[in-house]
Parts: sequence; structure tokens; C-alpha cells
Amino acid sequence: MTAAIELEGVTRAFGAVKAVDSLSLRVGRGTIFGFLGVNGAGKTTTIKMVLGLDRPTSGRIAVMGGDPADPATRRHIGYMPEIANYYPYLNAFELMDFYGGLCGLDRRTVRARAAELLERVGLAHAAKRPLRTYSKGMLQRAGIAQALLSDPELLVLDEPFTGLDPLARVGFRELLRELRDRGRTIFFSSHELGETELLCDGIAIMKAGRCVRQGAVKDLAGDGEGNLERLFLRVLASEGEEAGR
Amino acid sequence: MKTAFRQLSALARLSLLELWRRHEVFAFMLLALALVVPLALARPFGASGASRYLDEVALLLVWAFSLSISLGAGSRLFPPEFESRTALPLFSRPLSRGRILVGKYLGGVLASWSALLFFYALFAASVALRGGAAATAAMFQAVLLHLLFAALAVALALLMSLVLSRGAALAFSGTLLAGMFFFGRDLPRYAEGAAAPVGWILRVIYAVAPHAEFFDMRQRLVHGWGAVDAAVVAAVAGYALVYAAVLLLLAKWALERRRV
Repeated sequence: MTAAIELEGVTRAFGAVKAVDSLSLRVGRGTIFGFLGVNGAGKTTTIKMVLGLDRPTSGRIAVMGGDPADPATRRHIGYMPEIANYYPYLNAFELMDFYGGLCGLDRRTVRARAAELLERVGLAHAAKRPLRTYSKGMLQRAGIAQALLSDPELLVLDEPFTGLDPLARVGFRELLRELRDRGRTIFFSSHELGETELLCDGIAIMKAGRCVRQGAVKDLAGDGEGNLERLFLRVLASEGEEAGR
Repeated sequence: MKTAFRQLSALARLSLLELWRRHEVFAFMLLALALVVPLALARPFGASGASRYLDEVALLLVWAFSLSISLGAGSRLFPPEFESRTALPLFSRPLSRGRILVGKYLGGVLASWSALLFFYALFAASVALRGGAAATAAMFQAVLLHLLFAALAVALALLMSLVLSRGAALAFSGTLLAGMFFFGRDLPRYAEGAAAPVGWILRVIYAVAPHAEFFDMRQRLVHGWGAVDAAVVAAVAGYALVYAAVLLLLAKWALERRRV
């Protein structure tokens, strides 16, 4: 079986600046994969290429065995952006209806899925309220619900824990594990090392557009709470020293 | 086929909802109620000449309001998606940018048509209340051509909003269409009388710019000259459809090159 996400020597250059430099990555199906790095490391650019929103300058990308620029490939992907901005004049139900329509789902299916998902993310009580009245955390939860609407095989999440309160985080963590147990693949970028360590099967650490570590969490960080943070800091520091030499 | 229809209707519905949930369209409707109705109803001193003049002003206001709404709707279809970053989840869905463009365009057109039909309904009702004939063949043609013009205006504003800032797109499209509406038919005459570079520029504008004046049947309505030949209406309709299609192809090209 092909990997959920496969990048081979992917480079994305903007003029002389390489936002992503010779990145090779393999995310197996049915796993949770954390994509780590400081700001400007190239995580969002990589995510955009995985979603087919941007093309690599060189290299090859395959998502669920297909080209992400092809709309047919994107049928398998659910995406939640980092900044949870949605149409402020819609309510959560209408937002789901809209995205469901874009996925080609019939309205009956969309309504049933929307009711179920909004209940799951704790927004059922506010489903008829305009999104402009939502808090940041509520918008983030609406984002989670819309990403799951088409029951995608691959879920791409950009900083999914931002804005979630501790209770919502626990619920979200459980949801992601449940999805993995159902064979779904979850690929997310994050600064939240604690959450990543608790959740992920595999990780990649990015720095200045390059992947500096990649592998299974337990192989890289070992067992024990807080190990990933130590690894992360050590890797970034050592890479910095190497770069300085 | 079913999938394409669901995607297009979802996009069109979004554009319609946006227009109707923003309050500026209601400002135009209130203005229309306050200005168009009294003008169309009035019959000063029972003089038909004065009444015709007021009808002409009322129809000019209908054109001005509907142009504002069409350009506003067209220029708002994409820039807010990029500014608020809703373009990311939108473009990551399983549909091409071309289909997104068509769906949003249809929504923009339907939104401006709904406002336009409201304005004409107000005008026709006022004329009928005054005792005039509103449901004429000329009125039907005037509304049809105006609807086609609105579709063209939405396409122009959409294209401009993808290559210019939203404000610049509105200013450019508004100036071009209003300029052609008032001066389009006189451009060849101006070109003949102008010195070489200006004359050439005027000729190019006449050849390339959208001829808003083709769609204007106000004089026929006001003076009761009756309907025009159906072949003329068909030719103008063809012109509008081809022109809008070219604008949309250019917009598709611009949207596909746009970085999200």
C-alpha cells in the first residue's frame, strides 16, 4: 500500500529563498504524524504543497497515491487551517452545508454529519449562531468539524491545538486517536510538543526549510514525558552550532 | 454531474447569502423606495412631458443603484477570501479553481439580478399605479438587457478584483462602465475630432471597452417608442455573453496563478 503522504526531494523556492529545501518525508497510513519546527521553518509551505495549493519548485509529492493538484486526490483530504477564519455571516450549520456542498455531498448526508460533528466538538448549542459571535476556541472547533465533514482518509491540521481550552484539548486528542484506530491518517503541524509526544506515532523536525530529524517518536525521544521537548531543543541547538561552524 | 451541480450551487448560495446579509444592499433598496417610487408616481401639473422627465431620472437611478450592487458583488467575490484566509480551506476542496470561479460568479450574478428585479418591480408598480402601461414588450426587453448588462458588470469587477486591489477594481470598472454608458455612442465622433494619439486611444477604447450603452433602453420606455427588433436584442445578448465569457476566461487565468 502506498504511503498517505510521500515527498521526495521537494524544494520550494521563492526567488533566492528556499522555504523548503530537499525535503523527503513518508507518512504511513493509519498513523498520527507530527510536523514540528519553529516559526518560518517551512511547515505551512509544506502543508500547502501537500494540499495542492502550491507547487514544488522541484521534487515529487504524492498524497494518497495521487497528485494533490488533482481535485480527485483532494477528495481524500480534510484540512483545518491555522487561522480559524470562516465566513462571519454564516452560522456553523450553514458553514458545514457550504463545505459539504463543495465536497459533493448531498444535503441530507451533510445535515446528518454536521449535527453529529457539531455535537462531538461541543458546538451543537451554538450551531445557529453567526460565526462572528464565536470565540477563538469555538472557531477552532468549527474548523475541526468542517475538516471531518467528508470523513476523509487523510486529515491535515495546521496548529490544531491553538485556542483550545484544556478540556477541548483532551476531547480533541481522544477524537484523533479514535480516527487513527479507524484507519485514518492524521498529519499535523504544531508547536505543542507535549501534545505531539502524547499523540504521535512519527515526527519530523524542520529547521530553515530542511528536515533535521525524522522517525518514530519512541525511537527519537525515548519513553518519558518531556523527552520530545528536550530532543527538539537539542536538535535545534546542535543544528545551529553546525550551521555556525 | 451531480457533484458539479452541488459544488456550484453551494458557491452561488454563499455569494447570495453574503450580499443579502450585508446591510449595504438594503441602503440601496431604501434609497430606491425613497427616490424611484415618488419620481415614477409623480405627475406634476398633469403634464406628460414633466412626467417623462421624472421617469427618466427614476430609471437612471435604477441603473446607478444596480451598477453599484453589481460591481460591489463582483469585486467582493474573491478579495475577502484572500484577506481573511478562507481561501485556504476553499481551495483545498476537491474542485478546480475554474469551478470555484464559475460558482462564485453565478452567485454574484444572481445576487445582483435579485436586487435589479426589485428595482424594476418598484418602478413598474409605480408606473402602473399612476395609470401608465408597465408590462409592455419594451419593458420586458429593457429588463432583459439590463440583466445581461449586470452579468457583464459582475464579470468585469470580478476580473479586475483579481488583478487590482478591491478599491481600484471598483473605481476602474465603475468609471469604464459609466463612461461607456454616457459617452460610448459618441466616442467615434470624438475620435475623429481629436489629434492623433488621443484619437487612437479613443478608437481603441471604443473597440475594446464593454458597450454599456447597447443595453440602455430608457429612452424607449420613457417616450413609449415600443420594443426593438428581436434580432437586435439577440445580437446584444450574444455580445454580453461572449464578452462576459472572455472576462471569465481571463479571470480563471488570473485565479490559477494567484498564490494562496
